[in-house]
Amino acid sequence: MCAAVARHLGLSTRVVRWTFVILTFIGGAGVVAYAFLWALTPEGDLADAATDQVAVPSDRRQWGSIIVIGAALVLVGGVLVLPVLGGSLIGSVLVPLFTIAVGAIVAWSNLDDAQRSRWLDSGSGASRFGWMRVALGVGLTVAGILVLVTRGESFSAVWDALLAGIAVLVGALIIAAPWALRLWGDLRREQVASARATERADIAAHLHDSVLQTLALIQRQSGDAAAVTRLARAQERELRSWLYDGPQGSQSTLAAAVTEVAHEVEDLHGQVIDLVVTGDRPYEPHGAALAQAMREALLNAVRHGGAPVTAYVEIGPSGVEAFVRDRGVGFDLEEVPVDRLGVRQSILGRMERHGGTARVRRRDDGTEVELRLPPLQGEQP
Amino acid sequence: MSTRQPTAGTTARPPVRVVLVDDHRMFRTGVRAELTEAMGAAGGPAVCDFVGEAPDVDSAITVIRAERPDVVLLDVHLPGGSGNGGVDVIRGCFGVETPAGAPVRFLALSVSDAAEDVIAVIRAGARGYVTKTIGARDLITAIRRVADGDAVFSPRLAGFVLDAFGAAAGEIAEVDEELDRLSAREREVMRLIARGYQYKEVAKELFISVKTVETHVSSVLRKLQLSSRHELTAWAMGRRLL
Repeated sequence: MCAAVARHLGLSTRVVRWTFVILTFIGGAGVVAYAFLWALTPEGDLADAATDQVAVPSDRRQWGSIIVIGAALVLVGGVLVLPVLGGSLIGSVLVPLFTIAVGAIVAWSNLDDAQRSRWLDSGSGASRFGWMRVALGVGLTVAGILVLVTRGESFSAVWDALLAGIAVLVGALIIAAPWALRLWGDLRREQVASARATERADIAAHLHDSVLQTLALIQRQSGDAAAVTRLARAQERELRSWLYDGPQGSQSTLAAAVTEVAHEVEDLHGQVIDLVVTGDRPYEPHGAALAQAMREALLNAVRHGGAPVTAYVEIGPSGVEAFVRDRGVGFDLEEVPVDRLGVRQSILGRMERHGGTARVRRRDDGTEVELRLPPLQGEQP
Repeated sequence: MSTRQPTAGTTARPPVRVVLVDDHRMFRTGVRAELTEAMGAAGGPAVCDFVGEAPDVDSAITVIRAERPDVVLLDVHLPGGSGNGGVDVIRGCFGVETPAGAPVRFLALSVSDAAEDVIAVIRAGARGYVTKTIGARDLITAIRRVADGDAVFSPRLAGFVLDAFGAAAGEIAEVDEELDRLSAREREVMRLIARGYQYKEVAKELFISVKTVETHVSSVLRKLQLSSRHELTAWAMGRRLL
């Protein structure tokens, strides 16, 4: 309980515990506060509508005991109020001030950070429960001010008055708690519903910005088969990554970098590349070199080879292996002019500079480029 | 593995009886037209005979039970049933056999590359998984292969398998029977398929027969369906919720 309060207020558990102990010695306020908070503190934030629904019946069961406690407190308060018609001024400055502070804390503490800020922002809105909290806080504060202002002769009398005031207010609030809780539940449900509506609006907006625009473009360019293919492929990829990958982070892994490269080549030439990547590792200069060499190999495959172009990248503890394959007539490394930098420099040279190897294989029906990198330092094969 | 149909020479074979299940009518029409055209261009007897179509889970089960086709081309995402699409169709047709006595075989056809979908439909009993962008000739090959009781792995499915079984990370089974890991040979076959190799190219590369390749692929399919490797489902889910 103390821990929960501490977490909620952002104080250390020890401070809260001592506060309760001290409050208990000062006329038992700590006990009352403890019981009250124990009864009303939510078990945890409602995660979604489902748990919300589940939570409601158990709340209802608690209400009975809350009402009994509240009624008892009101009785006690009423009894205590009667003899206290005159109090003492001694010590009646600090204690009312403390009461005012407690009132303010109660008014504000049960609002979440988000709700607090929203309440500060708008002031109005649907947060009727916020008003309930504020009403309690104001009540406590007013009680404190009253005790501070009204004369009080003896310390104990002032203390009794204070205690009585608190008890009455707390009792009233506990009686009102069921309604407050129901309002709170309604509010949370409304919030979930509005969050869903927002999500749906986001999806609609995304589909409009991406899919519908692309479809319009495709209709306009329906004569140009290559352009249509390119548009459709780019859109498919975009939608796929949006649906299945979630928000994209930075391109800080090798798998992401390689995928990026393949997409870039696809966009440049409108040729579909069937890419499969397994495993992953952090993106570093060697991996960057492999990605660049692979880009060159893909460009070659798309330009000189034939569809389908397939690429497979395996990133494992024994290093990285990348294969780019096309089904064209292929090219012979010996026939490539020396001044052509493409294969020689961009692929072979680059891989060798980074401790890897590259191999170009001519097959019956196409060419396959193999790129290999050793494992990163510190990783054992 | 299940009993294979007698392969009495390619010309004498009756066409594969196919039911097409997809909720998009345009897609069904397109597949039929494309396959008919491809078969016409290739000449010879028809490879496939479309005996039925269905747009949702419940009518699919009805049609499949009535027609008892050799192969069902099955979309992964379908309306109806208990909401699991193609998986529900496979479960609903459990035990249905063709007139020849072979089990009805399913080839999953999907636009989705999501690992979760792939793994779910394969584990439900599909004998292959191809994406809807597959060419007509490749699709005919795949249908024939599934009708023969073999497995059809796309490069992406092979990649998933390598990832899910930790084969890419170097986990290799000591004995072939181990369900939770791939054998060294199976891994090699999977890697070549992931690289875009056709079965016959895999066979040539590894100096084995196409038949042996098919055996390895079927064995991997069996492991994928039966393995209790705990990462498998979690891995697929993780892919989805990345």
